[in-house]
Amino acid sequence: MKTSINEPTLLSDVDVARFIVNGYHITKPEYEKGLNELIAKQLDDLCENPGDAIIEAIPELRQVLEDCIVRGVLISLLGKDYEVNPHRHWHCRTNGTGSMSWHQDSTNTRSTELSCLLALYYPRTVTADMGPTIIVPGTQFRNAPTDRMVTYTNIRGQVPLVVKAGTVAFTHYDIWHGTAANNSGSDRHMIKFLFNRRSTNSSPTWSHDPEMLTKPKDWNARSGEDVNNILSFSNPLNVSQSDHYKEQRIRQECWNHLMGTNAVGGKQTT
Amino acid sequence: MTFETTQQPRQRLLYIHARTPSVYSSILGLTQIEPIPGHKVALSAEDQNWPYETVHDALVDGWQVVQFPHHQAPFDDHDLDVVGYEFILQKIEIVS
Repeated sequence: MKTSINEPTLLSDVDVARFIVNGYHITKPEYEKGLNELIAKQLDDLCENPGDAIIEAIPELRQVLEDCIVRGVLISLLGKDYEVNPHRHWHCRTNGTGSMSWHQDSTNTRSTELSCLLALYYPRTVTADMGPTIIVPGTQFRNAPTDRMVTYTNIRGQVPLVVKAGTVAFTHYDIWHGTAANNSGSDRHMIKFLFNRRSTNSSPTWSHDPEMLTKPKDWNARSGEDVNNILSFSNPLNVSQSDHYKEQRIRQECWNHLMGTNAVGGKQTT
Repeated sequence: MTFETTQQPRQRLLYIHARTPSVYSSILGLTQIEPIPGHKVALSAEDQNWPYETVHDALVDGWQVVQFPHHQAPFDDHDLDVVGYEFILQKIEIVS
């Protein structure tokens, strides 16, 4: 819900719990009319990839970073003092480009703390044949180097980011991702931004309702709109019982970090 | 190198990532490698239509397991690594 033009739109408890489980959150900000088209046209006309200088090449991209929905997600998941990392990149999948296999960017952080996010901005609508990014929900806490993923192709539960123009998809830095082939006749643009946490939470930085945590797990409504149920029962890839138990522990640790209960003076909630 | 399409039996490979080490458990991922020049696998945004639901289904169809999943955990029991358990299967047959 937007409350004013400049006030960030914070996530709810359920949104945050779902991000912890799935490793992504998709938004569709409402920019000023024509912004997506303007950015897409400028990307079409670029002669070379400016790398980290993509904002200097296309200053209108700042409006994406300053959007109240975008800032709301970043504050909710990385804290009020989040950092916009100077690394960013234009990923152009031209017509005829083949698929890109699963990978994690850099090496796995091997941490249950949420310290880094990717934001993937698509200025033009992405169809299934346009080389969409594909992500695998729930893989963000798996300590699997990219070399260990090469014998996988399609995975049951993978999510292609077939999205409308203007979409910003936030993902955990470590989530498994790749792209499908582009056979559409059009180029697919995506700008990747990177954001970092600067400080540990001492309290929730999203729109938190303390009452939400008083509800016990409901074994009869496992898919319900409830934080404890989401963290406990969600299994987006239908992994084995052993893996699912490990996921539950890791999710709870991540939730505790975000709640600030692991900080000095923090209040334990579980 | 020439490719004889009718005479020479070749090794077809099937990588199956199953939910558990049991051949009866459901499949989480499936990759089929054909011994054909230029063959590649690709991620797809389309719905998957796999020929098998379990490793056992593939065995029934004539595939043979050449490598069972490794059970040695490289990390402690609180850590997560790859998705599922990898079976590698083969069929030796003439590929046209």
